[in-house]
Amino acid sequence: MTTRVDRNLYPELQRYGATDISACFNCGVCTAICPLSVDGASFPRRMSRYAQLGMREKLLSSPELWSCYGCSECTDSCPTQADPASFMAAARRYAVASYDRTHLAQYLATSKVFALVFVTALVGLLSAFMYSVHKPVDGSRLAFFDFVPSDVVHNMGIAVMAIMGLAALIGLLEMVRRVLRGPATGAAKATVRKTVDAAWDAVAVESLAQTRFRRDCADATESRPWYLRRWFIHFATMWGFLGLLAATMLDYGLELLGLKATGTPVPIWYPVRLLGTLAGAALIYGTTVLIVRRLRRSDRSSLHSTTSDWTFLSMLWIAGATGFILELGLYLPSAPSWGYPMFLVHVAVAMALVLLVPFGKFAHVLYRPVALFAIRLRG
Amino acid sequence: MSKRPAGERRLGVYVCHCGGNISDYVDVQAVVDAVKDEPGVVVARHTIFACSDAGQQEMEEDIAANDLDGLVVASCSPKLHVVTFRGVAKRSGMNPYDYNQANIREQCSWTHTDDPAGATSKAIGLVRGVIARTRLSEALEPLVVETTQKALIIGGGVAGLRAAIGLADIGLGVFLVERESELGGWVGRFGPIYPHERDGRELISGLIAEVKKRPAIKVFTGAEVVSKTGSFGNYAVGIRVSNDPPQTIQIEVGSIIVATGFDSYRPADGEFGSGMDGVVTLPEFKELIDAAAGAGLRYNGKPVRSLAYIYCVGSRQTDGNEYCSRFCCTATAHASIRVAQLDPKVRQYHLYRDIRTYGTFELLYTQARKDGAIYVKFPDNAPPVVAADKSGGLAVTVRDLLSGDEELEIPVDLVVQVTGMVPRANTDLVGLLKLPLGKDGFFNEIHPKLRPVETMVDGVLIAGACQGPKSSAESVASGLAAVTQSASVLKKGSAELDPLVATVDPDACTWCGKCLDACPYGAIEQLSLNGREVATISEAGCKGCGGCVPVCPENAIDLRGYTDAQITAMIDGLLQEAIA
Repeated sequence: MTTRVDRNLYPELQRYGATDISACFNCGVCTAICPLSVDGASFPRRMSRYAQLGMREKLLSSPELWSCYGCSECTDSCPTQADPASFMAAARRYAVASYDRTHLAQYLATSKVFALVFVTALVGLLSAFMYSVHKPVDGSRLAFFDFVPSDVVHNMGIAVMAIMGLAALIGLLEMVRRVLRGPATGAAKATVRKTVDAAWDAVAVESLAQTRFRRDCADATESRPWYLRRWFIHFATMWGFLGLLAATMLDYGLELLGLKATGTPVPIWYPVRLLGTLAGAALIYGTTVLIVRRLRRSDRSSLHSTTSDWTFLSMLWIAGATGFILELGLYLPSAPSWGYPMFLVHVAVAMALVLLVPFGKFAHVLYRPVALFAIRLRG
Repeated sequence: MSKRPAGERRLGVYVCHCGGNISDYVDVQAVVDAVKDEPGVVVARHTIFACSDAGQQEMEEDIAANDLDGLVVASCSPKLHVVTFRGVAKRSGMNPYDYNQANIREQCSWTHTDDPAGATSKAIGLVRGVIARTRLSEALEPLVVETTQKALIIGGGVAGLRAAIGLADIGLGVFLVERESELGGWVGRFGPIYPHERDGRELISGLIAEVKKRPAIKVFTGAEVVSKTGSFGNYAVGIRVSNDPPQTIQIEVGSIIVATGFDSYRPADGEFGSGMDGVVTLPEFKELIDAAAGAGLRYNGKPVRSLAYIYCVGSRQTDGNEYCSRFCCTATAHASIRVAQLDPKVRQYHLYRDIRTYGTFELLYTQARKDGAIYVKFPDNAPPVVAADKSGGLAVTVRDLLSGDEELEIPVDLVVQVTGMVPRANTDLVGLLKLPLGKDGFFNEIHPKLRPVETMVDGVLIAGACQGPKSSAESVASGLAAVTQSASVLKKGSAELDPLVATVDPDACTWCGKCLDACPYGAIEQLSLNGREVATISEAGCKGCGGCVPVCPENAIDLRGYTDAQITAMIDGLLQEAIA
């Protein structure tokens, strides 16, 4: 297929934070140095080549965009300072925006003002709605689900999940449609066995266990202790979030099963509470380190931060931190004055975070496992 | 010395180990034993390094102690050390041409590592042959040629102009002949050129002003060299000046610097879109850029908003010019930067096979990319195709190796064929100067590193792009090298030449003319001598190649140092070992 050269793509990518790659002379050092670009893969170089020439469809049908964990070793090695790592991150933002039909992802990624106003407004609206249905409470101890009835919160949660799920499904279908049009596998037919293996490898081994991030990315050669390495910070953040999600779901499940009504006071060692506490600690630890590194630009992979990075990280951190403070508040002898407002903020930010999964940096949780699955399946 | 008859010669023979290079395979003691009783051999030894100071000193002592009048060293190729050992002979009061060398390294030990006995036997034969030749050697004196202290420069481009100034400044007279009506050549047509953004026209007008300041330089424009006779140090050259009326002027010069430059490759009709509207060659494009200052880049009155450069048009082709023109990658990067300066929005595509912006010109390549130009590497066997585009302009279809061999279609307003340098079409001059041409059709130097501006014809030097593709800076450098080389023979007023030249026995010669046809250097002329027509060989013109010797039906020609008698004796010496 002949592609007509399109010089508008690159300026478009620059709006998503792509650095100036015009100096790139395609030497391929980035590909050679990348610990993940193996077995005939040709990223980052080929991805930036697609961008240079305006091969939009080629770029969007490349699951390789999602193989990268942004260690920035390529940027360190680049002889022309073209910064391929930042380019890869920008290309992922562009892909997220392109798979989203509503253009919301595009505006969130390309306009600081829009992102700030939109997220603030969303959080404000969700809080305002909950406040509008709140019930009077006495001031003795914090009782959040007397303040806002638990079924209101639960139903809002279900609605948010449903909307997010629909948007995620549409985005994923857009991606899969393109990837299927990409280069033919050429390999043997996908058997059931091969499909299961690929799914296991993509979801369990690489995504949940973070095996390649831990083993292959440059962290392995880093001199810092394990608890400060990039893979672990990401691991803590991811499992912190998943743990909190699980705790929230379990709490709802216990109510559905009639074992424990939401909001019933429990001791700190109660299993679901304990899970939430530990997961919250992990999330706060991970996001705090990430934010500090981005503020200090202390890490080669945190030199360039975009609106997407800040929106995502700050929402995660606020959700985690407010959750923790609220938990402390529960054990105070009397209800603090900030308790209920903070509860509104906590729930609204958490819901906004979930709602915006397909529209921002969080979208990697959807696209990365699917892309890795496609790559594994191609063999 | 060496006045003794052949039967009474006193020779010294030295067989060199070359530190094992020879002695590991050739039994040097056996060689010494085999030749020590040859007629005339007084001293025969082997030596670890004949060329070392100790080795040379040993020979000098032997020569003095034994009153030797001939010297043979069996060692490496004469190319390496003939001058060294001639020096030994000369310092010992012997005639340097009574020294001869047998090559038993390149021709024995290095070639027959699998057969030491055979190598030894061959070495004995070779040494015997050289001993036999040396028994018949004659004392010779170098030829001394008086030189005319003037030089002719053919070609008034940047190399020729700079060389003229250089020669005049060291006190030599210069004739500068330019075929066109104006001096300046290619550089004189251009605006800013790489590497220093100096304006080509200004460079040339500066050089012309300098030339005019020097009365030692006589300039002929619209003129051509039509005849050349004489030999090294004293050439008589005819120059036809197309004045009104045309006339031919005769001049005398000691050396000739050929700086005739190059032609730009002209693509055949249809080659990469040649003949289509919007397709131009690199020099044509350069003129468009030079004309664009202030007005913007335009072609046929229309603004150019996008363009594609197709590299290696006519260069590095298996069925055409096989060589790389060297300057074009850099010149195109420079053009690309200039276009970006005129209008950064012009979209530029460079379709290339390999980029050869050598040395610091890499910076221009980087700058061109930083200015937004896109470089597309296409496979050697799939060159780009230029066609009319549906939008009205041109469309270039090309396979891009860097995106995994994807086919691209690039819509452009202009296609620039990056054409290289080809030899100037000047057959007459080539025939006249009798200069050897390389496979690529450019003039050939003797040695690309050690004698880069000298040709096989003594006193005729080459400079600039007539020797092969060069940038203007490289052309000027070679022009100045030719100045130095001219000065080294002309400034003294005389020069020494090797006496190993062919001589005619006028009594035996019947002037059949066969030798005249055999001589590649034009050194043979007809001469009336005592009422007979005979051949005579210019000692200064003869290169000692020996081409005339075997064609003479009367056996009237002999080559000094390689006389018939010497060659026959050598063969006999060699065969003695082979038969034994």
